[in-house]
This record gives sequence, structure tokens and C-alpha cells, in this order.
Amino acid sequence: MSRMATIFALLLASSLSSYGADSPVRVQLDSTKAIPRSVESLTEQVILRDYRFAWTSIAQALEFNTLDPLEGAFTGESKQALSQSVTSQQRTGLSQRYVDQNHKVQAVFYAPEGDVIELHDTAEYQLQILDSGKLIHEEHVVVHYIVLMTPAADRWMVRHLQAVPQF
Amino acid sequence: MKFTLPIILVAVTAGLMTLALFGAGHSSGTVGIAAGSAVFSTKASTPEQGLNNLLADVQRRNWDRAYSALSTTSAGDRQSFIQDWTGSDGSLRSFSSLEGFQARPLHATNDDAQMRVRLHWTTPVGPIEDVRDFHLIREGGTWKVAWPKMQISSVPAQIIPVTYLRWDLVSGSGSDEWGSKNVDAPHVRIISMNAVDSAEGAVVMGEVVNEDTIPAFVNVNAALVDGAGKAIDDESSFDKIDHVLLPKQVTPYRIDFPNINLKNVKNVRMDVKATLVPASADPVIGVMNQKVVSDVQGKSILQGDLMNESGQTVNIPHVIASFYDNNGKVIWVSDGYVNRALLPQSGQPFAVEIPKSLAGKVQSFHVVVNQYSLVRS
Amino acid sequence: MHAPASAIAGEEVTISTNGSGKATFYLLGPGVSRKSDVSLGSEVQLKAQDLQNAGEYFAFLCSDTCRSSSFYVTAAKPASLTFLVHPSRVPVGQGDAVSGVALPFDQFRNLVLTPETVNFHLLEGTASVFSRSSQTRDGIAWFRTASQKSAGTLQVDASLGDLSARRAVQQVASDPCNLRIKGERTKAGILVQTEPVRDCAGNPVPDGTIVSFTATDGNGRSTVDAPIKQGVARAQLEAPGATVISVASGVAMGNELRIGAQP
Repeated sequence: MSRMATIFALLLASSLSSYGADSPVRVQLDSTKAIPRSVESLTEQVILRDYRFAWTSIAQALEFNTLDPLEGAFTGESKQALSQSVTSQQRTGLSQRYVDQNHKVQAVFYAPEGDVIELHDTAEYQLQILDSGKLIHEEHVVVHYIVLMTPAADRWMVRHLQAVPQF
Repeated sequence: MKFTLPIILVAVTAGLMTLALFGAGHSSGTVGIAAGSAVFSTKASTPEQGLNNLLADVQRRNWDRAYSALSTTSAGDRQSFIQDWTGSDGSLRSFSSLEGFQARPLHATNDDAQMRVRLHWTTPVGPIEDVRDFHLIREGGTWKVAWPKMQISSVPAQIIPVTYLRWDLVSGSGSDEWGSKNVDAPHVRIISMNAVDSAEGAVVMGEVVNEDTIPAFVNVNAALVDGAGKAIDDESSFDKIDHVLLPKQVTPYRIDFPNINLKNVKNVRMDVKATLVPASADPVIGVMNQKVVSDVQGKSILQGDLMNESGQTVNIPHVIASFYDNNGKVIWVSDGYVNRALLPQSGQPFAVEIPKSLAGKVQSFHVVVNQYSLVRS
Repeated sequence: MHAPASAIAGEEVTISTNGSGKATFYLLGPGVSRKSDVSLGSEVQLKAQDLQNAGEYFAFLCSDTCRSSSFYVTAAKPASLTFLVHPSRVPVGQGDAVSGVALPFDQFRNLVLTPETVNFHLLEGTASVFSRSSQTRDGIAWFRTASQKSAGTLQVDASLGDLSARRAVQQVASDPCNLRIKGERTKAGILVQTEPVRDCAGNPVPDGTIVSFTATDGNGRSTVDAPIKQGVARAQLEAPGATVISVASGVAMGNELRIGAQP
């Protein structure tokens, strides 16, 4: 019986890890070093929630090549670039999976009036590249992102997402 | 046998229809309450029938017959009689129609009678009830309404100098780039909030101030939350607020939650939204002679006179009043539309009701006037 | 396969390949996905329009097996300056009340992360009231300063080389101070008006600000909410009896005026 349970658990884990969009997105946010304004506790919670949602949306958009997940979480340049990625992947038949995302995020700048925040995200995930559904490449990557988020009516939105070699 | 039931039904229906058509009009000698839409009787042998005939003609806008059937002692001319019922100058009355009425006698003798009528109007801002007394006189065996001389506002031709002040909103013609349109929304603040149970449900009310130096379009929303943190209902202040607030202006607001009892509410989430809006500082409307009194029906009302101090007609004045207890807490917010237009440099009376249960607690009040002008819109 | 370690946004890049035979080349990066057949041993040209977005790009070459390489594209030179200034209206004489954040972007809207010097300059009319040079850190330069003593428009400029951005902040008077009224009986009632309404620093309170006049006599209470026009607020009140008139604007209260009954 216990062997059956182990096999079931392994199968379940394996099926989960094979779908990036369903894979959990872990985000840790440290905003203690933000200048010149300190990040309010409630703002920190909302940014954490919305940044996690943004990465869930990226994973869905780039795995299923659909623009819908990009509504609501992105604005400005980041929305434009991600939309271009999706339409471009639709043409080539390529797709990407972001599996087991782990983001260590540090807030480095929070504007005096609270209208923009800059984050440094050290992201680790298993990147899978697929051509017409066939896996052609898989690797564990560590990417450094510089992120700009701006407040909207009821949420924070990712305005800029730019990968850099290091901070 | 199988035809018995249909025959009975047809007979009863015909009987009821006959009674409805003729029965009410011929109930002579009845001193009761007449109600509903008016039905014309050829000869008014009772005060009720005389009043009924007048209101039937008013409903049908049969002005010739209505005016000719007035008592010879009537004072007003035909034009002012019609204008009294139809309104003028784009007032609320000119967009309203008489839907029904309820009349009851105040006193009656053989030759004259006094009737009090609740007139039910349908208007663009919802149903409005108007209470009016009519004097009826028996002339040659027929009861007729003695129409009083009405005070119709008239304004002499004149030039009124106005230092015009308005704010226009320029959205900017430059690029739509991030940060290029840095005009902040106006700063407004809820300065008081009170939630109470009323006969119709829960009511959330209070006051909002525009703390900014520019006009603001303001709306207040409230969400009632239960013990589990779940929203029970959310509503907005709708027309129970002066939406356009000039700098430093204060408006009452009231949000009604019909059929909700506060005992089920754990928390109230308030949200005030303010946006930039083009606005004018005119017209200025004074609120004169404000007094809490009892009306003819014994209800507590706040009454006064609106005075248009500008040169612009206010077609539909809307009065919103907040009432405070001896601690300065807002305990009620009432509003009311004025039927007549507010002509330049002239006045109109107003009255708003105070709930009976709160009348004794009212220590002071604050009145604001919201205005709808056809010229502006 | 050999790709450069880094590239500049909007510039062409060449990737060399080894071996012989046919292969499929893939390029995946921010805003781009490309797939093409290539001959091994030849060079793969990446066009400028494929490399406009800064970030990490992955190149794959697949024949029997796939080989990969990655490289970074960095922003080109600054081509525009995003300038966030707040607030758009500010009461005079408030410390740290005006702030600005400048972010340089290249022509493809990539954030320029190399340190750049941004000059902030604040002017009241033609008089300079604040000037500071600040170097961008992670693509951001900022300043914060007090609002000035007098009401009026504050011009806020940011410049980086020959790029510049301009914003305006309205410095407005604070709450009214020493609100004073005078009044007299006229045929129509009582005409009451304020003296010029100013804040405690002497700045005229903006026109349009509401001043509330209240007249109380034996007949009841009359109120008029009148806007300030050309510095003063005036109202006509109806009060035939002996009357006490008070005035307020926001939180500021003014003097009381007592006027005798109508003769």
C-alpha cells in the first residue's frame, strides 16, 4: 500500500513539474534596503503578491503562446516586449516553460512619492524550450532581472523587466 | 352546468367594472379618502368629486375644461394656473407628470370645504410626493376648486455683472509617455462617517471635504463586510452627494443599503474617489432662513429659501442637508429636489424631512445645494 | 557554436558555427523568437531588429543533438528621459515636498543601466531656486526638495546631455489665515465680504476656494458658500433682525460681525 502511495506521489510530482504554468512560483521579497523611502508593510505584501502573479502570467503566456495572461499584470515596455515574444513564438511554433521558479527579490529604490519601485530579482528556474511541443532544450538557469513596478488603481504592475549579467 | 362558472365570472367582472366606473364618483356624502387616478364625473355633487374632476383634467392636461371649471372666486389667470401644474424654465415640474393622488377632507360645510391632497408625481429623479391644500366652494349645486393667486417668479430684464471663474481641464497634447502627464487627482477626505439602521435598511452617511485648490468630482462608495470578512453589499452615494466640490467645500453623503440590518455587519469599508473635472464657481446659491419646524402633517422638516445670487437660471435645485447631534456627529442626511426653477436673483422655498426618531436629537445642520442647469449641460 | 558574450541593442551580431551538414538554428530572447535552417560551418547573422530589447538571449543549434549558447544585449545610449515629478500641486513652504525621479531609456525603450549624470534644475519664473547633478544608479537618478515660499508655478527640468524633460508644479497658498469680514445692510439684505484672503505667509488663497458665511437672527439661519473671486469672497444674506455673521473657510474661522435689525 505504501509503495502504491509512493508511486502515486512520484507520478503526481512528475506531472506537476512537466507543466511550467502550473508549477509554483516562490518569491521572497526583502525591502529593508530600499531608498529613499521605506516600503510600507501593506505595500510590500501587495508587491509580493503582484510580482508572483506577474511571473505566473509570464509562464502561462510563454508556454501556451497566449496574450490573455499578460492583461492585468504588465504595462508599458514589459507588456510590449512580452506580447512580441508571444506573437513571435506563435509564428515559429516555439514555446518556453518556466518550471520551479524561485525568485529572491530585493527592493533597491522606492520613489519619494511611491510611484515607482525598482527590484533586483535573482531568479532560478528550470527552463524548457519546446518546438511544436517537442522538448529541444532544458537547463537550470539563474537570471538577474532589473524590474520596475508602478502602482495602478488596485495593484502594482510590472512596467519594465530587463535581464542583466549581474547587479 | 359546465357553463355556470364562466357565466358567473363574466357577470361578476362586469359588475366590478361598472362599480369601478360609476361607483366611486357617486358615493355622495362620503367624507373619506379619495385615492388613485382621477375619473371625471359630469356633475360634482360632493367636494371629493369637484377635486377629482380638477385632478382628472390636470392628469389629461385638459387645461380649458380644468380652468373653466374653477370657482368664480378663483384669483389666478389661466396662464399662471397652467404654469403651476406644468412648470416652466426647465424645472423639475416641467419634466414630471401627475400619476395619482390621495385626498382627505380637513373640514366641510354645506357650501365650502378644505381638502388636503397628496399628489404623486413621476419625475426623472424618481417619484416625488407633494402635499397641497385645496379650497372648494359649492356654486349652483356644483363643487368647484377656488384657485388661489399663485406667486410665479418673474425676473425683470437686467444685466448682472459676474466675475466669471471656471477651471478647464487640459489633458496635454504631448506624448503619452510615462510621467509626462503629472497632474495629481484632487485630494479629498472623508471627515465623518456614521452607520445606522433605518426603517428601509442600513444607512452609511457623513461628510467629505475637498482639501485641494482645484475642483473635484467626488463619489463615495461603501462596502458592508460580515464577520467572516465577506462583502455583504456595496453601494455608492449616487445622488445623495454634491458631486462637484470646489476647493475647501464640504458635502454630506448618504449611502443606502435597502433591506440590510447592521447587526449582520462587522465592518464598513469606505472608499472615496476624486477625479479632475472642469467646473465653474457659479452660480452661488444662498440658503436663507433655515429652520427646523413641524409641517402641516406634523413631520419635522428643515425648511428655508434658496436664493440664486447669480445671473444664471438653475433649472433643478437639489438640496442636501446633514444633521448633527450635540456632539457634532452626523446623525442623518436628507435630500430633496425643488420643483421650481431658481431664476436669477430670485428665491424658492425648500423643505427636507427629518426622521421622527431623530428629530429630537438634531442640534444643528448644514445645507448644500446641488444644481442642474440645462445651459451648462 | 560561438556567440558573443554581449551585444548592444539594435546592433547586428554574428554567431559562428562548426561542423558540416544541415541544422536548425533557434533564437529566443525578449520579444523575439526565430527559427531557421542553417549550414553548419557557416555564420548566422542576427539582424538589428532581432536584438532591440535588452536582456538575455538564447541561441540553439540542433541537428542530431542541440547545442546552446546565451548572451546579453545591453541598452544603447540614452535617447529619452522619463521624468516623474510629484506632486503637481503643493502648498508653499513645505519641507521635502517636491521630488523627481529620472530614468534614461535608449531608443528601443531599454533602461540605460550604465551610470549617467542627470542635472535637475528648478526655476521660479526666471530665478533658479534649486540645482543638483545626480548620477544614475541602476538606471535611476532622483532629487527631493522643499517647496518655495511664494505661490506660483515651479518649473522642474531634468537634463542628460542634450536630452531634457520639463514638468510644472503649482505652488499654492496654504489654508486661509486671519480671515476677516465686513458687511452692511442693503435693500436686498446684508452684503458681506471678506478682506483679501491670504495664508499665514501672505500668499493669496486661490480663487475658487469656498468661504462659508453664516448669518443667525431670530428668524433662523442663513448660509452662503461663496467662492473667492479676485481675492475676496462676497455674499448677500437675508436676515431682517439683529444678526450675527460668522465666516469660515476649511478649518480657518474668521471674525464675527454684529449687524443691527432692519430699520
